[in-house]
Amino acid sequence: MAMTTRQRARMSKTIQIAIFIIAIIALVLAVDWNKAIYAFFSFDKLGPMFPGMILVGLKNTIFYTIISFAFGLILGLLLALMKMASFAPYRWFATAFIEFFRGIPAILVLLAFGFGLPQAFGTQWPQPVNVMCALGLVSAAYIAETLRAGLQAVPKGQTEAARSLGMPAWRAMVTIVIPQAFKIVLPPMTNEIILLTKDTSLAFILGASMAQYEMTKFGRDGISQIDAGITPLVVAGLFYLVITIPLSLVARKFESRAAKTKR
Amino acid sequence: MSTDTNELSVHASGVEITGLRKSYGSNEVLKGIDLNVAPGEVVCLIGPSGSGKSTLLRCVNLLEQPNGGTIMVGGFNVTDPDVNLDKMRQQVGMVFQQFNLFPHLTVLENCTISPIKVLKRKKAEAQKVALRNLERVGLGDFGDRYPDQLSGGQQQRVAIARALSMEPTLMLFDEPTSALDPETVGEVLSIMKNLAQAGMTMLVVTHEMAFAKEVADRVFFMDGGVVVEEGKAVDVIGNPQQPRTQDFLRRVLDPTHVDI
Ligand SMILES: Nc1ncnc2c1ncn2[C@@H]1O[C@H](COP(=O)(O)OP(=O)(O)OP(=O)(O)O)[C@@H](O)[C@H]1O
Ligand SMILES: [Mg+2]
Repeated sequence: MAMTTRQRARMSKTIQIAIFIIAIIALVLAVDWNKAIYAFFSFDKLGPMFPGMILVGLKNTIFYTIISFAFGLILGLLLALMKMASFAPYRWFATAFIEFFRGIPAILVLLAFGFGLPQAFGTQWPQPVNVMCALGLVSAAYIAETLRAGLQAVPKGQTEAARSLGMPAWRAMVTIVIPQAFKIVLPPMTNEIILLTKDTSLAFILGASMAQYEMTKFGRDGISQIDAGITPLVVAGLFYLVITIPLSLVARKFESRAAKTKR
Repeated sequence: MSTDTNELSVHASGVEITGLRKSYGSNEVLKGIDLNVAPGEVVCLIGPSGSGKSTLLRCVNLLEQPNGGTIMVGGFNVTDPDVNLDKMRQQVGMVFQQFNLFPHLTVLENCTISPIKVLKRKKAEAQKVALRNLERVGLGDFGDRYPDQLSGGQQQRVAIARALSMEPTLMLFDEPTSALDPETVGEVLSIMKNLAQAGMTMLVVTHEMAFAKEVADRVFFMDGGVVVEEGKAVDVIGNPQQPRTQDFLRRVLDPTHVDI
């Protein structure tokens, strides 16, 4: 029963397709489709969720993402520069910061701001500030590493050429190195923003006034208030895609334009 | 300095290097170098790989920090800790082996970025100067291109135009033709020769012995971090006195011996 490699490959492909078809048939037969459709796709009952889902939820998700990213970007750039500094304590601090905030769950940081601050210092910050600080700190740790890799990927000769043309170090950084690093870090940075967008959903655990709800909170309230299974969560999920997919597309466009002018 | 073929008007400054020392850790790379270049003079540095030629050149505009000795460029004491580094570097043009053009900027922008940002020139004025320099290197029509759309020789010519656009009084060249295809070496060397004739002070690290012999006023042969032999170009290359120089030149000039 000797088979050639070709025959064996075809055989294994046939088996895989067969298993796949059997699995689908089993699923179709086993699932109660009326119940499933009710649980996931009762879109007709979602009237009460709108227009709040968009005017408040979508708006706040985007708002939280933007402020967290802005904070994370500035702090991340600072940390990246510290990590490349010649003064060793800067490097130690940056390394410790990055390892710490990269290593613990974002939700713990969020809780620390929401519940720890009031207990420790008797101050209560507004919800958006808590979210911005907590998610900003965490994303700064990731962004710092991404930026450092990007800045270091720009050849040293670029800085030397800029410096020998009389540019001060900061000017060489801003005019020559950062624009080139930007093209390098664009894909990982897009990932970072997408992760951040999704992490804003953690804000719900802090509780908030109606005006501060973001999309996941709307989804959760929808489950308890509307008789539509988990359809409100499905809708929330779709709205996340409304943010993240265009982001990917824009980034890809940038990338292909960068590729056209090369490097 | 004729202005009909060379539009460049050069205000040249000299270089005085005394007792220059440089170490990387325990590795002493420059062991007390004395080297003078008069204003308008062309000096070539030759020597085997690792002898410290690049390090010497890079000390002159402080891309490397010397450990001892003094360097004077024009009126600047480069080795003075209080020297205005950026002001000094504006006077010193540098051309690298690997060109180091800015890939995200057009050829014209490469030549105008520093005049605009550092010298605070008006954009139109900087472009005028840059275009004149690009024409000088035969690339007047290439301003809108990006560096990766040019051949190696063309890129190096842009790099020369970029350095000239800062209107330096001294030009440093570190093996400007070593990364080039053989057929484009000539175009770069002829521009350098032009520049030398226009009266620019030039300090050139090179393995192009024919160029050194023809264009340089004087040649310094370095080995192991010291100047082994120096003198008129024709003498050092045509009739070397030191055994180490003779040996080096024999190897470089021997066509069957591959040396980089
Ligand atoms: N950044 C550095 N760190 C440590 N050692 C260095 C550094 N730069 C140069 N060196 C060492 O200094 C010595 C001289 O190097 P340099 O580049 O000046 O030689 P060179 O004469 O220009 O040689 P080549 O003809 O190969 O360019 C070499 O032994 C080199 O290994
Ligand atoms: Mg060298």
